[in-house]
Amino acid sequence: MATSSGRPNGIDHRILLLGIGNDILTDDGIGPRLVEELSHLSFNRQITFQSATVGGLETIELFAGYETVIIIDAIKTRDGSPGDVYYFTPEDFKETLHLSNLHDVNFLMAMELGKKLGYQLPGDIHIIAVEIVEDEVFSRDFSPAIQGSYPQIKEEIIGIVHDILELK
Amino acid sequence: MKKILIDPITRLEGHGKINIFLNDDGEVENAYFQVPELRGFEKFCEGRPVEELPSIVTKICGVCPGCHHMASGKAVDAVFGVEPPPTAKKIRELFYMAHFVHSHIAHFYALAAPDFVCGPTAPAAERNILGVIAKVGLEIGGEVIKQRRIAQEIQALIGGHQTHVIMNTPGGVKKGLTPEQRDDIVKKSEDFVEFSKFSIQLFKDVVLGNKDYVDIILNGPYSLNLHSMGLVDENNKVNFYEGKVRVVDTIGKELCKYTPNEYREFVEERVEPWSYLKFPYLKKIGWKGFVDGQESGVYQATPLSRLNAADGMATPIAQQEYEFMYKTLGGKPVHATLAMHWARLIELIYSAERCLELAKDPDIIGKELRAPLNRIVGEGVGIVEAQRGTLTHHYWTDSKGMVTKANLIVGTTNNNAAICMSIKKAAQGLIKKNTEVTEGTLNMIEMAFRAYDPCFSCATHSLPGQMKMILNVLDKDGNLIRSTKRD
Repeated sequence: MATSSGRPNGIDHRILLLGIGNDILTDDGIGPRLVEELSHLSFNRQITFQSATVGGLETIELFAGYETVIIIDAIKTRDGSPGDVYYFTPEDFKETLHLSNLHDVNFLMAMELGKKLGYQLPGDIHIIAVEIVEDEVFSRDFSPAIQGSYPQIKEEIIGIVHDILELK
Repeated sequence: MKKILIDPITRLEGHGKINIFLNDDGEVENAYFQVPELRGFEKFCEGRPVEELPSIVTKICGVCPGCHHMASGKAVDAVFGVEPPPTAKKIRELFYMAHFVHSHIAHFYALAAPDFVCGPTAPAAERNILGVIAKVGLEIGGEVIKQRRIAQEIQALIGGHQTHVIMNTPGGVKKGLTPEQRDDIVKKSEDFVEFSKFSIQLFKDVVLGNKDYVDIILNGPYSLNLHSMGLVDENNKVNFYEGKVRVVDTIGKELCKYTPNEYREFVEERVEPWSYLKFPYLKKIGWKGFVDGQESGVYQATPLSRLNAADGMATPIAQQEYEFMYKTLGGKPVHATLAMHWARLIELIYSAERCLELAKDPDIIGKELRAPLNRIVGEGVGIVEAQRGTLTHHYWTDSKGMVTKANLIVGTTNNNAAICMSIKKAAQGLIKKNTEVTEGTLNMIEMAFRAYDPCFSCATHSLPGQMKMILNVLDKDGNLIRSTKRD
């Protein structure tokens, strides 16, 4: 993955695109897979591409120093259709599958804690979530429904990322 | 920019679910704790070279990847019939101690401390790590994040990555440590020791200094009289990386002590129709149901049970604290579920001290990192203590070392029956006829299983944040009469 190492050090390098999920749990790894593929595309801003498996407290130091963080995660909702793409901000955040950590704290609490502790956390956080089908079976392959709609999912997410960057 | 406003409800299966059934008198008759389960790991492994498994298994669980890596590495050693050289073993253990420091700090400050520092029935909005920091000070919060980060840095340095660890290779480790790296780890380990001492003092001040809390620990509805399991060294001292599994009974007498490859003679797993997770029990006693007592086959594999199963700690400060805990609580073994928090802090001290001890060991910068491989035994078992219980990996291969079968008993699964029983006992103690089930009630029932530091990420998934919980109270016919949900 084209991932820059370390913390951003230039004014044009303060954007993190983070994919969260497990790439051996069927659809669960869609975030990391999308981020890996997006890292090969051209954007009008320099972006750090990274993947992770869990959120929670980890996000404090992971996000510190960035101005903008765009997260791609999986989600399962009661009435969603496979491949639906959702967009949230922290203000209207609904729990995605990995941004919080069972073992420590939820995402919003991690952000609040980080701010209280004086970390320079991004003021601009965007959460993109993909409705998935299967995340309880070990497999490197997507489910048929996600595999079939993957090109559309990817295009839609590229569009959202471009939209976010244009507003910067 | 396109903005889709939706209101998704995280699926119910993503919640932990407790169903509490009342009898005709309105008293708790039974309680069931249910979580979903990941499937297909064995099939996923089949046909792969066994030496790939230590890296693959780090993806089973984002919370305890290092534990799976260690158990897997040891199972693969056994498949190849090799014993790593001393330097390799010590490097592995050094990594593992940092993993324990990282995990135990997170559990105490984020999950355990809120119940005591803020109070078990404090409003949920205040009963969290922010509430803890509000009471103990911002600088402590900063230390929590800092010490976790340092522990992760050590893991990343030794393991190649803090989460997707790649250090173990059949018969040893892939790379060694330089003297400069060793010196850096020594300094960091010294900080671990100081912070772990601070943490247990905080526990003593806040919990032991409060008569009500001591009363809850000792006399609340949280005690289970079960057998205790833990890995011990040749002196029967607690060891997380290597040794024999020892089980002591409810009065502290040794029931059995076995090597990893003998585990199937001593542990069996039971299936219940209402749970995805299996229920391990002691085979020689047999399954006697969800009952505690000397005749029960149910055991616990927790920080407290590790201390119960051992004769002491192998490092000096941890040993002092071990003696103090048992003296304070009236001797060994202790069966107070909430004392697991205390035991976990003693383990934190042990991990920090052991980290320092290993970093100072001259062998740690040795050059012999791997034993030569010259045969394939075809079957191997690796056992370590994960933070949440004894972790077993068992692999079978063909003559070329390709995996034909795999079996795992993960830490929390050991405690599945005990967790269910703890929840039932807490519910029976807290819900009486005409009791209103409040958020505080839910939390005090939740405390019964939170003490186990349950991590169902290995066996389940999608449990975001602090455990989402639905607590249903049903009458004897299964009709829902009260429900409390916490997101």
